[in-house]
Amino acid sequence: MKKTTFRLMLRGACFLLWVGSSLGAQELAIKGGRILTMAGEPIDGGTVLIRDGKITAVGEKLDIPIDAMVIDATGKTIMPGFVESHSSAAMSQSNETNPNVPYLTVMDSIDPMRAYFHDARSNGVTTVAVVPGNATMIGGQGAVIKTGGTFVEDMVLMRNAGVKISLKPLNEASRMGHLAALRLELDQAKKLLDDEDDGPPDPKKEALVSMVGGKIPAFIYCESAMDVAPALQLAADYDLKSILVLGRKCYLAASEIAESGQPVILDSTLVFWETDPRTGSDKKIVLTKIFQEAGVPFTFQVAASTTSTLGNNFLWYQAACAVKYGMPVQKALEAITLLPARILGVDKFVGSLEPGKDADIVILTGDPLLLDTWVETTIVGGKVVYERGKDRKLKRLLNGVNQ
Amino acid sequence: MKLAFSIFWGALFAVLAFFWTDSSQARSILYKAAIVHTMTGNPLQPGEVFVQDGKIVAVGKSVVVPSDTKVVDLGDVTLLPGFIDAYSQVGLAGGSDESTREVTPGFSTANVIDWKDVNFREALAEGTTTLAASPGTQNVIAGISCVIKTAGTASMRMIQSDGALLLSLCSDPAQGNRSRSRPDSIYIRQPTNRMGVVWILRSAFDHASRNLPFESGAMIRESLQGKRPVFSVSRTTYDLNSLLALGEEFSFSPVAVGGHEAYKMAPRLSKAKVPVILGPLSTGGGQGPEETEPIWNQAGILSRAGVELALAGGNLLTQARFAHRFGLTRELALKAVTRQPAELLRVADRIGSLAPGLDADLVAFDGDPLEFTTAIRWVMVDGIIYEQQEEGGSNEENDL
Repeated sequence: MKKTTFRLMLRGACFLLWVGSSLGAQELAIKGGRILTMAGEPIDGGTVLIRDGKITAVGEKLDIPIDAMVIDATGKTIMPGFVESHSSAAMSQSNETNPNVPYLTVMDSIDPMRAYFHDARSNGVTTVAVVPGNATMIGGQGAVIKTGGTFVEDMVLMRNAGVKISLKPLNEASRMGHLAALRLELDQAKKLLDDEDDGPPDPKKEALVSMVGGKIPAFIYCESAMDVAPALQLAADYDLKSILVLGRKCYLAASEIAESGQPVILDSTLVFWETDPRTGSDKKIVLTKIFQEAGVPFTFQVAASTTSTLGNNFLWYQAACAVKYGMPVQKALEAITLLPARILGVDKFVGSLEPGKDADIVILTGDPLLLDTWVETTIVGGKVVYERGKDRKLKRLLNGVNQ
Repeated sequence: MKLAFSIFWGALFAVLAFFWTDSSQARSILYKAAIVHTMTGNPLQPGEVFVQDGKIVAVGKSVVVPSDTKVVDLGDVTLLPGFIDAYSQVGLAGGSDESTREVTPGFSTANVIDWKDVNFREALAEGTTTLAASPGTQNVIAGISCVIKTAGTASMRMIQSDGALLLSLCSDPAQGNRSRSRPDSIYIRQPTNRMGVVWILRSAFDHASRNLPFESGAMIRESLQGKRPVFSVSRTTYDLNSLLALGEEFSFSPVAVGGHEAYKMAPRLSKAKVPVILGPLSTGGGQGPEETEPIWNQAGILSRAGVELALAGGNLLTQARFAHRFGLTRELALKAVTRQPAELLRVADRIGSLAPGLDADLVAFDGDPLEFTTAIRWVMVDGIIYEQQEEGGSNEENDL
């Protein structure tokens, strides 16, 4: 008797727990659109089911839970949110004056109220790797964050996303001195790593030690092609998990980069002209075409938003530019979703629409990369963070004042 | 022997003559395209353009040509007239401003063009076949622009050496000038504020129109009377208002260049029949020059009010694409980089549309010219194809 009562009570408790959990659960269903999952063939008229900020199912004929909030995306395109792999635009200042600061973290510098975040959400970017700028030697630690939220702590996806290293000498310095100083620091870190048992490492060196041990990546900025060789050499000598951030002149080392087998982050200027100083002949350089032909997978950076930027401050526009110069659309879309997620090591969470991944989703008015296509809705972690219909800033940009 | 010799020479001559005529015939080519935007009417679908010796001979849905004419079928290509940048600083060698004086109406950019400037090549690759090289904005009356092709032999490229008279009715001429705290020097000049800019303009116009002695007074007078277009760089509402006032006072019809805030007074500009040359447009944040408000759809708002507008200042194709995305109609976006700038520069009888007798300046697109993902297949200037692009590829390295 006692046993039965106990069992009943247990069952009841289980039931109550289940009811409770399902009441508390945030369920969302996006139905009717063309889904580009980035993890297989597109699904027409499919449904994405979301629960507690995670994707639970993606498919054609899914039952929508009765208590789910439903977004009708009929006639629209549903994609994973875009991933920006290298940006300092979220920071109040991109570099510390001291060029050797591996112990700093961008987490202290990210201002979620910056215009950057609104622009990111309204252009479909849901994840961004905030990394210190290129004017440094060892510039501090980057972080991968989501673009929706008020406090950085609620937005962070990966706190120690990597240490920024720049091979571009500072101001008047020479490359000899710059590289020697850098190697000295890495040697010390390596020594600390080998002596790790001797006690806790110097907190100022901690990040550098885990970078040398390959625990966290190194974002290595190469200004010109000549920086690529030392970058690859440093990666080999110190067992670095390197992420190459390339200046535009690095295209001259495209085949060497291809041999190394790593994906890269391209310069924001994808097309430019060069004049040969000796012959005076002009040549048009298209970075996406060169790296595509060399077989190097790449993702994009965007240009800093200034009064003279036209288009290339948008990640999707960079992808469109690559398509213009011969990249297949599917590849170009991967280059702003799944590939950067892989480069950053966060593809377990973002970059495609698959069960178990974060519900970071962008709903577009039509096919991606077209002139008349706009971001309709942006969802981060199952929460709607942007709706075009409510975007007063956009209305003002399009209609002016008092119109 | 002598006979054989003359037969040999005769044969050689005949062969040469054959090649000669053949090559001259090759200069007349009929291009067939899926869509031809003539800019004089509705687009032709499909359309044909007959080009001979660098000129357009005929345009139509189907053009009758001599039976031995070379025919090039471009497949699903869209043809457009070459783009025209009505306000550009490309190609000016050795500085674009005279810094010792504030009124230099006689200064002409036609004398200082660096024909091999890489920026010509860059503009050409983006479909711009003609641009108006204009003096900078540091002087109140800056000088005369010239209208030039971006490719071709130097002697052919200048199509109008006496272009527009450029005024700078904006804050630029006052920037960097100091008050006379030191003994007079040629490096100390007026104005030091915007009131001075307007005053200098008014006094120049006044002297010129009353035949009083003034530097290049006759030239200014003729310009106000309409001999050449008068372009004024004016971006803010207060500068545009001053421009309208001066226009009424000295009865001339200006064209507003820059015009970042022109959208705010679109109906007034429309009523005064003052066209606007916009640009360069930007999708970046922050404010425009002189802290103008950064509105994306300036072009759409102006055109809805009936203001004639052209896009200028480089990247014409990208500008037209974004202007369309932000609200300018497709037809007007294309017109704003072709026929409209040609009309404002008064060279519409030579360029800007596809019609018999006009220069064969064409841009061939692989698809919809306004889509971001559409590449340019080639650009033609005076019947010669430059910037040929392999399918979805980049340009060959060739010297112009």
